[in-house]
Amino acid sequence: MAKAQSVSPAFLGECDVVIIGAGIIGAMIARELSKLKGKFALIEKEAFPGFGVSKASLSQIHLPDFCPIGSLKGKLSANAPQRFKKLARELDLHYREVGEIWLALKQEHIENLWEAKKRGESNGARGYEIIGPEKIRQLEPYVTKKAIAGLYAKEPGVLYTPEWTFALTENAVQNGVSLYLGAAVTGIDKEDDHYYKVTTTRGQIRARYVINAAGLYSDEIAALLGDADIHLELRKGTMLIFDKSVSSLVRHMLFGTFSEKHSQDIAPTAHGNLILGVHYVKPRNKKDTSVSRENIEETFKLGKELVPALREKDMITSFSGILCTNNKASDGDFYIAPSEHAPRAIHVLAGAPGLTAAPGIADMVIRLLVEQGLKAEEKKVFHTRKESFPRFESAPLSKKEKMIASNPKYGHIVCRCEQVTEAEVINAIKRGVDTMDGVKHLTRAGMGRCQGSFCGSSVLKYLANTLGIPATKVTKKGAGSHHIVGYTKQGGESGAGEC
Amino acid sequence: MLKRSKLDIAIIGSGPAGLAAAVEADRRGVKNLVVFERDELPGGILRQCIHNGFGLEKFKEELTGPEYANRYIKMAESAGIDIELNTTVLEIEKDRTLTSVSEHSGLRKYECKSIILAMGCRERPRGALGIPGTRPAGIFTAGHAQRLINIEGYMPGEKVVILGSGDIGLIMARRLTLEGAEVVAVAEILPYSSGLIRNVVQCLNDYEIPLLLSHTVAEIHGDKRVEGVTLVKVDTDWNPIKRTEQYVECDTLLLSVGLIPENELSKQAGVLIDPKTGGPYVNDCLETSVEGIFSCGNVLHVNDLVDNVSNEGELAATGAYERIKGKTLGRERIMEVEADEGVGQVVPQKISGDRETIFYLRVKKPMGKMVLRVGENFEKKFSYARPSEMIRLKIPKKIFSQMGSSVSKLQIRCEER
Repeated sequence: MAKAQSVSPAFLGECDVVIIGAGIIGAMIARELSKLKGKFALIEKEAFPGFGVSKASLSQIHLPDFCPIGSLKGKLSANAPQRFKKLARELDLHYREVGEIWLALKQEHIENLWEAKKRGESNGARGYEIIGPEKIRQLEPYVTKKAIAGLYAKEPGVLYTPEWTFALTENAVQNGVSLYLGAAVTGIDKEDDHYYKVTTTRGQIRARYVINAAGLYSDEIAALLGDADIHLELRKGTMLIFDKSVSSLVRHMLFGTFSEKHSQDIAPTAHGNLILGVHYVKPRNKKDTSVSRENIEETFKLGKELVPALREKDMITSFSGILCTNNKASDGDFYIAPSEHAPRAIHVLAGAPGLTAAPGIADMVIRLLVEQGLKAEEKKVFHTRKESFPRFESAPLSKKEKMIASNPKYGHIVCRCEQVTEAEVINAIKRGVDTMDGVKHLTRAGMGRCQGSFCGSSVLKYLANTLGIPATKVTKKGAGSHHIVGYTKQGGESGAGEC
Repeated sequence: MLKRSKLDIAIIGSGPAGLAAAVEADRRGVKNLVVFERDELPGGILRQCIHNGFGLEKFKEELTGPEYANRYIKMAESAGIDIELNTTVLEIEKDRTLTSVSEHSGLRKYECKSIILAMGCRERPRGALGIPGTRPAGIFTAGHAQRLINIEGYMPGEKVVILGSGDIGLIMARRLTLEGAEVVAVAEILPYSSGLIRNVVQCLNDYEIPLLLSHTVAEIHGDKRVEGVTLVKVDTDWNPIKRTEQYVECDTLLLSVGLIPENELSKQAGVLIDPKTGGPYVNDCLETSVEGIFSCGNVLHVNDLVDNVSNEGELAATGAYERIKGKTLGRERIMEVEADEGVGQVVPQKISGDRETIFYLRVKKPMGKMVLRVGENFEKKFSYARPSEMIRLKIPKKIFSQMGSSVSKLQIRCEER
């Protein structure tokens, strides 16, 4: 991905619309906007698109059966599976249609399923089926025997959010959107009646319209725009990842009970692991993505109840993500609306299910922009995304042969756990990935059961060599997170012992 | 169509187990064999183990890891053994078809009469432990840090806390100190070290590095790079004891918290795994539950001494040789070997009783004077035993002959005396 050059303190440029936040929602908006004539900018404070909360998503596309009837989030999620399937074709991305089953383990919960079905259908979704214990067992042989009924839908699926965020951003950039990474917004000032001056840690941008898609930080951006009354309520949710070797235990997204404290959810991931969530606690602050022993144990219990054969020793990692709701809408609904104080500024305060609703949100934001005066004229030529990163591991044998024939580096496995090849790692780096975590999320090298202890040193070298920087400058996730601190007494890039 | 070749023996991995197996198979006259190595050089993890202490039994001298590996590499070279470097085995099937891939030869399929699994083990990562806290840079498994320092010439950190007192952790404490880093402490959740005593003395005591027994990391701090860890004392059930937390400033956390035999390929081929060892169930020729597939070294069970690993490689090669010569490997009479009272794990788990057999086992907890009993008619006394030191027990064939053909279960147990 071509990055705009950094000159600071600098004037970065002028545009019609600036989108603050390159999470899945900001990236989706940027990509939709890039179909229109005009100049657009996407800015992100992290080192890479999707490195905020999008990275810690369950990566599931749901139906709106858990959204209140008539809610905005319900409306925006109505046909999400179809939207994502279409996008997957357009962007050459992976959407795994695994289906979902909301399970009732007690007699009194069966009623909840009917209510969920009604909510989903009222919100515009179709394709539900209430199923009994035999059908459940047939679809999910390892599910608890206590499961007596289920609400089944075939189309919901899973994807990998960091991969999608990257692809959407890449496609937006391909179509002219300027991307500024590592650019945290520090001020937004009205320059005149037509322009805002958005100051970032990388320089200033002049923009007529401002989209606040800053996720967890959208309250702070709102305050900079003069909307000091927007507040966010935070919850931290813990999720566990299980080894691929136990993937046969769960085939669909399985849901159990929902409460303030948890959403009981176990599902396959896009890459064939299992993901289990979500146990909620209150975070200390927006950066508190720590996971405690207790969080892990509570989360594990949620999974064990649905799938008794699940074992903690098959867990390969745990992580947590922060979810927010806003004070402007009731019942935890989204608030997507023009600013009350700043003209031509639009707040996108989402939350769960932000990923599911993202395509709907992008449509709505563009509609609001037009209402605010943006001229929406389609470009003559919209470039479809070039081919996605071909993956060696999931390719059939004949395709693997072709890949190696075209580039022999596909024959060199770098990450043994996920079978990621040198060609894939180099490919990702050449397309803009410049951190260890970036390589991990985009190629999966380091994502498997050894968590990078075997391939870490190779990935470090590929990053240093391809980017043309010393290994000491390679970071895990941006400035300050260097992987190594120096050279050994006799080590060093040139054997001269630079340190 | 992929190129298909036939092999007498395929050996997966060219660490000490794989190399010893290759040399032994060649010595017995098996010439159609290939060793598959995913790294760019043979030797496996020994390449990064530049400390000495290897080979006391095999070569009667103290060698470094690379020196020990080189002895076998030279033997393999002079025998003209084919070691395919930079080549990863992607899959093995129950019928012993193997698929490999490399940059230089692409995809290949081999139909093998025998396969010897010698893939070694991997380190338990942070995620599997669920250590609480943030996710900054500066957290390494001890072996990853060892590779960075000893092979790449990089320093992973300046001020280091090590969690776990396994041998690699202990050796890395010394190594980091010699390279100028400060090792603040080694924390061990057990009330005793999980490494060899000589390593505690030579790697910690000699450098005045504190070993905090019954301690663990309660939390990792730092947003971008590790800034510190909270250490806490634990009770006998590993529960943190309140008000014993202490914050220790550091930029690096090394994890030396256990090794896991790497059996993903084995499982694909249908090889059954013993949950106690994490490696395949094997018989007295180290043949797994799948005929013609053998296992040796750290993929079979985690060893302490490389000499034992080489011995296992030779035994597996002998088994594979006999298998391709059409021998039945004593599958007629099977005695199940059971790790009974006080014994945590044992290899092999099934024996024929047709040959002298070496059992490798570990006790469950540290013991003083004790006696180890094998079945009803064999015992051996020990002055002490520790889980960190594998016990090697050689049982002559005549002991099995005395047992009579009706015995189908052999219990191995130990008692304090």
